[in-house]
Amino acid sequence: MKKLPIDSARYQRPVASPLVEATLGLVREKIRDAWQASGQGWNEFAMRGNDALVTGEMMADIEARILASGHRFDWSASISAQERPDIYKPADGAAGDSENFMFAHPEAQTADADERGWALRGVGDNVVRHAKDVTGVARYIRSNERVLSYLTEGVPAGTIAVIDDSGGTLTAPIIDQFAGVICAGGTVRSHLGILTREYNIPCLMNARITGIRDGDTVMIEATAPAKTAEDYQNNVERTGRVWLKGDI
Amino acid sequence: MDVRDTVPAWTALKRHSKAEDIAGIVGLPVETVGRELAQAVATARAIMHNDRYALTPLADVALRSRYSLHYGNLRENAAFVQSYEAFERVNVALKQVITDWQTMTVGGKKVANDHSDADYDAGIIDRLGAIHEQVEPIIKRLAAQLPRLAIFGKKLLAALEAAEDGDHEWVSDIRRESYHTAWFELHEDLLRIMGRERQE
Repeated sequence: MKKLPIDSARYQRPVASPLVEATLGLVREKIRDAWQASGQGWNEFAMRGNDALVTGEMMADIEARILASGHRFDWSASISAQERPDIYKPADGAAGDSENFMFAHPEAQTADADERGWALRGVGDNVVRHAKDVTGVARYIRSNERVLSYLTEGVPAGTIAVIDDSGGTLTAPIIDQFAGVICAGGTVRSHLGILTREYNIPCLMNARITGIRDGDTVMIEATAPAKTAEDYQNNVERTGRVWLKGDI
Repeated sequence: MDVRDTVPAWTALKRHSKAEDIAGIVGLPVETVGRELAQAVATARAIMHNDRYALTPLADVALRSRYSLHYGNLRENAAFVQSYEAFERVNVALKQVITDWQTMTVGGKKVANDHSDADYDAGIIDRLGAIHEQVEPIIKRLAAQLPRLAIFGKKLLAALEAAEDGDHEWVSDIRRESYHTAWFELHEDLLRIMGRERQE
């Protein structure tokens, strides 16, 4: 792997802003790859001109990787946040998750509220069968701000975490404080499945749910049979349900 | 990697760990590691809670962007890549063994393993031993290219032996360096070295 001249300049402190450091780091990574692929010497490669060296596509990919980490940009003109609300911090300055965000899986099974006032809002793969279903308050864990605030201030009692990904990366340090977990990805053998079983926390993986907003009272059918390896191999649909508490 | 990257790299791998834990792994004085971590907190690259540290998302992005600088040669090293791919195959089996450790079939239904059936547990620990026999030579081959990886072989063996000696928490307990904890860290380390993303 080739080293850029600047890669050897190690006796400087990192730049002041983590955002600048991350952006520069990604630019250098891409330039190293492009240089490596070019087969050219440094002078020949570097003198091709700025427009050939750093492309719009490259910068779009860098932005995507920064956003994928959970970072959201500060905005200085409100038009920016209006045009691309997905990449900026919320305009009201509140940390994290929009109150109106919800998963809306196209294949989510739904039903109107039953006589107890519980409305079916989807299903997921149960990681292990529990003795009782679990009820709690749905809280989307989608921003690092929320994880950091839970980490420092504690998770509110009775929180059922609603999570996008199954690596457990974001939530691992606080997972033991959840009353339940609903994860939109993965399988019962995913890392998050292993973690929740270890902590004896009801968890549905590969959840296909819709219409649940932050702060809603929900119930997980933790008593449903667990999905097994054989079920996945044989395409057997074995799920636990998720209900939303509605008006009776 | 120098201290500027080894400390954040292990802060990322050993999530929510203390300065002395990180110092123990990287073989640096705890004062040096503490200084690096304090600097990281002061510049919004890490957060600290109860003396435990975690990298902030952007610091992790920056750290990962430098892995191709440190390990680009390994990504092109056929012996290393082959061994990494062999590890990924054993990883599938390991996840099944851990899942079977945590659950068991009673009356045709999967329930949480309450560890009251010593024979069942012994069977799983035997399977874990078989997994270890598969992964040990893989780690040796990986460490032949990157010697620091050898520490994972030692951690895994220590956890396996403790589990075999009857302390079953060493299989998958999250709060200690159990077999699963060490395995997860090794997997995460390899994914970063290879510049790949976790599949699930």
